[in-house]
Formats: sequence, structure tokens, C-alpha cells
Amino acid sequence: MSPQDTQDTRGPEGPTGVSDGAKTKSLGYGRPSGTSPVWLTVTKWVLIALTVGVLAIVAQKTIEQGAWIGVVIAAFVAMCVVVVYGTRRAVPLKYLLPGLILLVTLQIWPIAYTVATSFTNYGDGHLFSKQVSIEQVIANSVREVPNAPRYKLSVAVKEKSDPATAEIFYLLTDPAGKTYLGDKVGLSDLPAADVEKAPNGRITKAAGFQILTAIQVNARKDLSTFAVPTKGGGGIKSVGLSEAFEGKAIVSYDKATDTLTDSTTGKKYVAVNARWEPADGQGGAFPQGWKENVGFKNFQNVLTNETLRAGFLKIFAWNFVFAVVSVGSTFVLGMLLALLLNNARLRGKGLYRSLLILPYALPGFVTALVWSSMFNQDYGLINKMLHLNVDWLGDPWAAKAAILITNLWLGFPYMFIVCTGALQSIPGDVLEAAKIDGASALRTVRSIIMPLLLVAVGPLLIASFAYNFNNFGLIFLLTGGGPFEAADTSIGSSDLLITYAYRLAFSGVSPNYGLAATVSIFIFAFVALMSYQGFRRTKALEDVN
Amino acid sequence: MHKRAIGAAAITGVAALLLGACGSSTTPAAKPSSTTTTTAAPAPTTTGPPVRDAAADLVIWADADRVPIIQKYADAFGKENGIKVAVQVATDVRQQFKDATKVDKGPDVIVGAHDWLGELVQNGTVAPVNLDPAVAAKFAPQAMAATKFNGQSYGVPYAVENIGLVRNTALAPTAPTTMDALVSEGQALVKSGKATNIMVQEVGKTGNAYYTYPYLKAFGGGIFATNAAGGYDATKVIVNSPGSLKGAAELQVLGKAKALSTNVDGTNVDALFDAGKVPFYITGPWAIDKAKKANIKYAISPLPSLTGGGKMQPFLGVQMFYVSAKAKNATFAQEFVTNYVPREDVQLALFEAGHRPPALTSAYDKVAATDADVKAWFEAGQGGQPMPNIPAMNSVWGPLGQAAADVIAGKAQPKARFDAAQKEIVANIAKG
Repeated sequence: MSPQDTQDTRGPEGPTGVSDGAKTKSLGYGRPSGTSPVWLTVTKWVLIALTVGVLAIVAQKTIEQGAWIGVVIAAFVAMCVVVVYGTRRAVPLKYLLPGLILLVTLQIWPIAYTVATSFTNYGDGHLFSKQVSIEQVIANSVREVPNAPRYKLSVAVKEKSDPATAEIFYLLTDPAGKTYLGDKVGLSDLPAADVEKAPNGRITKAAGFQILTAIQVNARKDLSTFAVPTKGGGGIKSVGLSEAFEGKAIVSYDKATDTLTDSTTGKKYVAVNARWEPADGQGGAFPQGWKENVGFKNFQNVLTNETLRAGFLKIFAWNFVFAVVSVGSTFVLGMLLALLLNNARLRGKGLYRSLLILPYALPGFVTALVWSSMFNQDYGLINKMLHLNVDWLGDPWAAKAAILITNLWLGFPYMFIVCTGALQSIPGDVLEAAKIDGASALRTVRSIIMPLLLVAVGPLLIASFAYNFNNFGLIFLLTGGGPFEAADTSIGSSDLLITYAYRLAFSGVSPNYGLAATVSIFIFAFVALMSYQGFRRTKALEDVN
Repeated sequence: MHKRAIGAAAITGVAALLLGACGSSTTPAAKPSSTTTTTAAPAPTTTGPPVRDAAADLVIWADADRVPIIQKYADAFGKENGIKVAVQVATDVRQQFKDATKVDKGPDVIVGAHDWLGELVQNGTVAPVNLDPAVAAKFAPQAMAATKFNGQSYGVPYAVENIGLVRNTALAPTAPTTMDALVSEGQALVKSGKATNIMVQEVGKTGNAYYTYPYLKAFGGGIFATNAAGGYDATKVIVNSPGSLKGAAELQVLGKAKALSTNVDGTNVDALFDAGKVPFYITGPWAIDKAKKANIKYAISPLPSLTGGGKMQPFLGVQMFYVSAKAKNATFAQEFVTNYVPREDVQLALFEAGHRPPALTSAYDKVAATDADVKAWFEAGQGGQPMPNIPAMNSVWGPLGQAAADVIAGKAQPKARFDAAQKEIVANIAKG
């Protein structure tokens, strides 16, 4: 413990001035600082203790799940918190640590996870390990043995043993009323004299056994793997609380050859492409595949697969045009309206302004759905009012126009607000000077207002570009990426990269998170490059000042 | 059935997003899921995905309509066994169950449509349910067949639903038995100004494979051929078989006659029929509540037959209870599903929630004796096959729907377009 800490704990006893002096002396870099009052110290340590406590709980949970890396991370964060805030050494880190932790958990970690996923085949049918897939296939192949009896079941343990852990016994009654005792070795007779039965035949009492209650049975997780072996190689398994059936797995796994065999058909299944494919190539594979590393296959796929690549380029081109035109059109309209309503002589400016902001105030999702119904060729408002017969949502070009029109409606109020704000901050004397110099209105706008406006609005335009580049909601609700052309339903004419990645990952043929992660890495690279360029340009704009 | 619900699903998703206000804006709430979302998007009591009730000994997830009824019987079950049962509302059971189960936070039991089965098995999220064969025999055979995948049964059914021909009896007093008669009757009504459309059916710009199938089936076509065991064979796609192509040609004819239109979709089809100026509506039980509210006098009859082919046969959709493969209370879950759900009173109560014909034969008989609609729906579904529940079906919805839409819109010729769809489906299945 450093001397400062001793000072701190002494707290209010010493006058602040004294401890202050002591502190300045002992601190090598002579930073003037006041001793914290005792309540602050207490609060600090309570907060540190709380943080560590929460992290301990997190660690406990991760231990339960067997995720050791989580424990290590929690312990590391706890140590960082104690070291940074418990001591007086790392002052800059006191400010940086929360942000740093959030940066890592909310930005770096998702990126790392996405990158990691892009090297796998993770997706529907490839969610778990090979071992689990074998277990699943076998467990799902258990069939009821034909003509075997259905038993009434009572689950029991030996008398005076622990219901939660003791060896399980099945007390069974067959449809004829005969009673049996089943254990992990096999089935044996249970003399009728030793048992009491309910009217339905279920055993309610048996000498030497303790019958478990429903809650006790439910708590026995080992029941799922418990079966009473029978002569035919099957086993008697429970169905719920009170019934048992004789079942037999028809698929078995051979570790030596790494094959699954279906005993009813004799068919062998081998591991191909992370799935169990029939060895003879006839028929389908088992649906349960497993997750595995596929290296650069997904990247290779995006870059070389003809449909994917052609689609990717097409989508990218439209995505770029969409973002640029959206930003451009909304900015121009917003700015013109802002200039118009900035005129000092105009009356009722407040009213006009609030009316113009309305589209912005309405939730975008609702607006997009409403526009979607207005664009209906036969029943939509637009075709009816304008006496047109445009297939807005069915024609690739019309659909693109529809999207841009809707986005103009959705986006101009934002630009209007921003420009109004920026216009009002342009000093009046500059404009006055222009007037005195005899500049026309147009000239004033071009040479005075625009440059000053762009300084303020430029970065916002780039932000707006990045937002529109990934404007998922609008496309999804308005056209769903459609219309789909050329007999290809994976790539729509109005798809953005983000809606395309969504279709790959969450819907369509079979959700493929690995491929979608790869596509999002490409999107990330594009947006990053373009934003970098954009920000460099706005720096140039600032030179106007 | 995927695509049919997309509108409703999207609206539900939007509602959820709006209520969720600052929730993440890209929640994949609108995975086109099956029937649970078709019932007019009830106001969700919870907005995001449900959080598993940690205190309960049995957790069931279902959609908002069914929760109150299941709750009643779940409470009785809980009382009998001295446990607490939680029945929670999930706005999108299929997706939310999948997501939650992946991280071990899923429910023990879910209520959903049978066509999710292949995907659920593929992802290892549901466990086999070994119903006593004697009990299974009490259900409609088609309903029991729908709960099976690769020969294994994974749940207990409670309702069967299918599409039929709903007509506005003020405009069309008698049910046409052929599509030709339907079209000429509709055309006459349109000409006289009494009707705006010959008929309506959900198509949309991306099409709808669920509503397309009956046209293909009428000529002996369809989607998958069946294998020796009676199941659908994913390796035998018959979307461009001669029978299917005849069905596609019929779609072209109906599109030209403006009986079918890609401008009629899930968002406006109900409103069109409920305006009272459409004589015929090919739809399912989910559309009836709204028609009743709009005071439309309606009658339900089987789908008409097509000239040169047979009767249009719809897909059967079966609603069922599943047990999670990662159930924390597997014993209670199995007990509830195998011993409670097959009870007649439970099946009758669930009928009240959705007005679909019950899967339990004795329950159906009771309901059909008093409810003409249910009887009519049941008859409209006679001879129908369960919708394929194999994962390969996910590769079909998009391409087949789009092919039908393109043919109806007159953008493509049936043969060329359905050949292309066949090619795309086969390629997609090979990829998956």
C-alpha cells in the first residue's frame, strides 16, 4: 500500500492541507491533488468491490458452462479494475479503462467473432460438433420394437438411499398386469406379492424400494441416458413419468472406420463435407451435420463463384449508387427548403418547419410499409392518382426509383434540420458584405453560403452515406430486395449488400452464417475505405476557414 | 406456407420493433415462419423474444392466441404434479426457439407447425416423442404422418389446416366445381360491375409456393416425388414434370384472365375480399375472422378442379407440440405432451383458439357436428398431403414462388421458367 492510501484511510482526522502537502511530496510527478474525503474513498472501494463481485458471478456462471476462457477474461478484467482504480499509479488509464473495455466487448470482440466465423461452415445443419451429430443421429434413430408391450412405469431407488443420486430402478407393469423390475443389467420378475398397484396397473409401493415423486424423477437428468437392456439388443426407456417402451437404435457408429450404419437397410454413411453421406452415393445424407473449419473456402466462394461474384458486383454497384443518390437528393432538397425558410421576410416559418419535419418524426418502418402499399401497381395510391401503370415493385428499374423516392421522403427532413441549424450560424456580416459587394443571390449561395455550410454539414453527409450504405430496414420492408430476375432468387435487383448478407445468414435456402460473415467482412472493408476517403475530403473543406 | 405469412410476419416484426423503440433495428423478426403468425398478428404482450422463466419446472412457448388455453391445462398439469408451469408468449416461436436453444436458454416444449420439423431435427433442437401406438391410432392418420421425419415421430398434433375456396354468397350463391366455371362466373360479375376481381389469392411479387402447389398437384405434378417409405424424396424434384408444367400453363391462363395477379399479396388480399366486391377467395381458416368482422356472408367449399386434370389438392399443415432436445425438464415435458395433449378436452379447447379442425378424430367429430365451417375445411382438405417437412423444402419456397409469379405476370413462359426453377431448386438442395 502506498503512503497515499494510508493518508486516505486516516481521512477527516487530518486537515486537508496537511495531507495535501504530504501527497505532493511523495508523488514523483508532483501532480497537485486533493485528498478524497472518506465518503468518496468508501464509495470508490464499494464500487470496486461491486465490480469485482459482479465479475465473480460472471466467472461462476462461465465455470458452470465449462467456458474456461470466460473465467480467464473475467479474472483479467477484475485484476485490471483493482489495479487501475485501487492504486494511484495509472492515472490516464482511470479514464480510459471503461471505454477500453467497452471498445473490446462491443467492437473488437464482434469483429473477431465475425472473422472467426467466416472461416467455418457454421449454419443450419452445421451447428454442433461431430460427436454431438453422431449422438443426435443415433438418439433420433431409436424406434419402438414392433409388438413389444407398453409398460406402466414407476421410477424408484433402493429404500433409504438418496433419491437424487442412487441407482435407478424401473418398476414396470405390462398390459397383462405382470410386474417386472428393470435395472442397468436387465429385466427380472417382480413377485406380485411384493407390490401394491394403482387401478391402472402402475406400481405404487414395492418392498425394498422407494418410489420417486414426479419432481424427483424430473430432477434425475441421467434418465435420458438410462435404459433397461433387453434381449433383442434394445432397451426399455421412459416416456414421461408413467410409461415405458422398448426401443432400439437402428443406427450405430463404428469408431474404427468412422462410419454410421443403418441396421435396417445395411446402408453405411461416411463423413463427407461435414455431413454423413451414404457411402454408395444413393439417397440423402443425415440432416445433422457438424461445424468445422473450412479455411478460406468462403472467401474463395465470394470471389470465384460465378453467381456470387456477379451478384456481388451488381449489388455493390447499386448499393453505391443508392447511398450516393440518397445522400445527394436528400441534401439538395433539404438545403433548398432550409434556404427558402431561412428568409427573414417569410411569415409562419415555425409552422412550415414543423410540417416539414413530420416525415422524420414518423417511424421509418411504418412509412416504408405505407409507401410499399402506395406503390402497388393495381391498388396503390401513386398509380391511381397519376393515372400511371408502372409496375413499381415488379420492375427492376422502377423498384430502384421507388426506393429512392421513398428514401428522399424519409431523409430530407434530417438534412433540412441540419442545414437550418448550419445556416443560422453563418454570421450575418459576411452575407451583408457580399451584398455590399454586389453579389447576386445565386452568387452568395454558391460562394459564401455553400462553403460555410459544407464545413458544418460535410461530416454529417459522410455519416449519412455510411448509414444509407447499410439501410437494411428500408429495403427489407419496401421491396424485400426484389424483384428477382433471371430465375435466381438469391440475388434481388434492389438488394443492398446488407440485405443480401441477411438473406444468406437468416433466410432463404439454408442459413449459412459462415458465408454471411465473409460477406460482411467485405462490406466492412468497403465502408471503411470509402469513409476514410470521405473524411480526408472533408478535411480539405475545413481549409475554407 | 413460408411466404404466405411474410406480410403478417413483417407487420408483427414491425410492431415488435416499434414497441421495442430503441431495440436493435435489425432484429430478424420476420423470418417467414409458418402458421403461428398468420392469425392476424395479435398484439404481443412481450415485444422481444421471451426469457425462459427460471423458476418454473416446465416452460412452454407458444404464440399469443394459444397461450391462454394452454395455460389452463398447464396449470392443471402443474397442480397434479405439484410443480409450476410457465406458458410464455413467443412472437416468432420458430426463430426464437432456435436462437434460445442454441445457448441453452430455450423452453421445454414449443407449439408450432409440422413443416418446421426438418429444420429442427437438422439443428438437433427437438427430441423424439414416443406416443403409445394405441393413442396415436386415435388421431387422423395424415396428422400423425406429419409429425414424422425419417420414420421417427417428434410430437403430438392438435390441429390440421388447409386452404379451400371461400366465396361471397351474396355474389356467388353456389360453389363452382371447376375453375372454368369459376372464371366465367367471376367474369360475368366483373362485367356487370358487381365485382372488381374474378377471384383473389395471395401471390405477390415474389410469388407463393404454398398456393401454387394445388395447381401443379391437380395434374399429378407437385414438388417432391415420394419414396418407397411414403415420405418426400429430396433427390427427386418434380417441379418441371409434365404434370407440374400443365399446372404452370393454367397459372399463365389465369394470370392473363386477371384471375390471378402479382399485385394481390398478403397485405391487401383480405381487404379486397372483405370489401364485398370479390366473389371468390382461395385461402385458409386464418382469413375467416376478418371476413366475419366485415360482415361478409361466406361459404367454404373444396378447391375446384382444373380442365384436363383433377381436383386441386391443397397442402395440409399440422399444428403440433414439440419437446426440446435440450429440455431442462425432459420428463415433465414428455409427460405433458404424451398424456395431456392427446386428451379430448384439451384438443377441443385448442380448437376454440384457432378454429382449425382438431387432429384427434373424436374431438373433430364432436366439433364438426355443430360447426359447419370446420366440416367444410376438413372436406376441402380431403386427399391433401402434408406439406413436406424435410429441410430441402427451404430450397423450394423462393424459386417455385418466383417462377409462379413470373408466369402469372406474363413475364415468362411456363416451360422455360419452371425448367429454370427446377434447376435452381436442385442446385440449392445440393448446396445445402
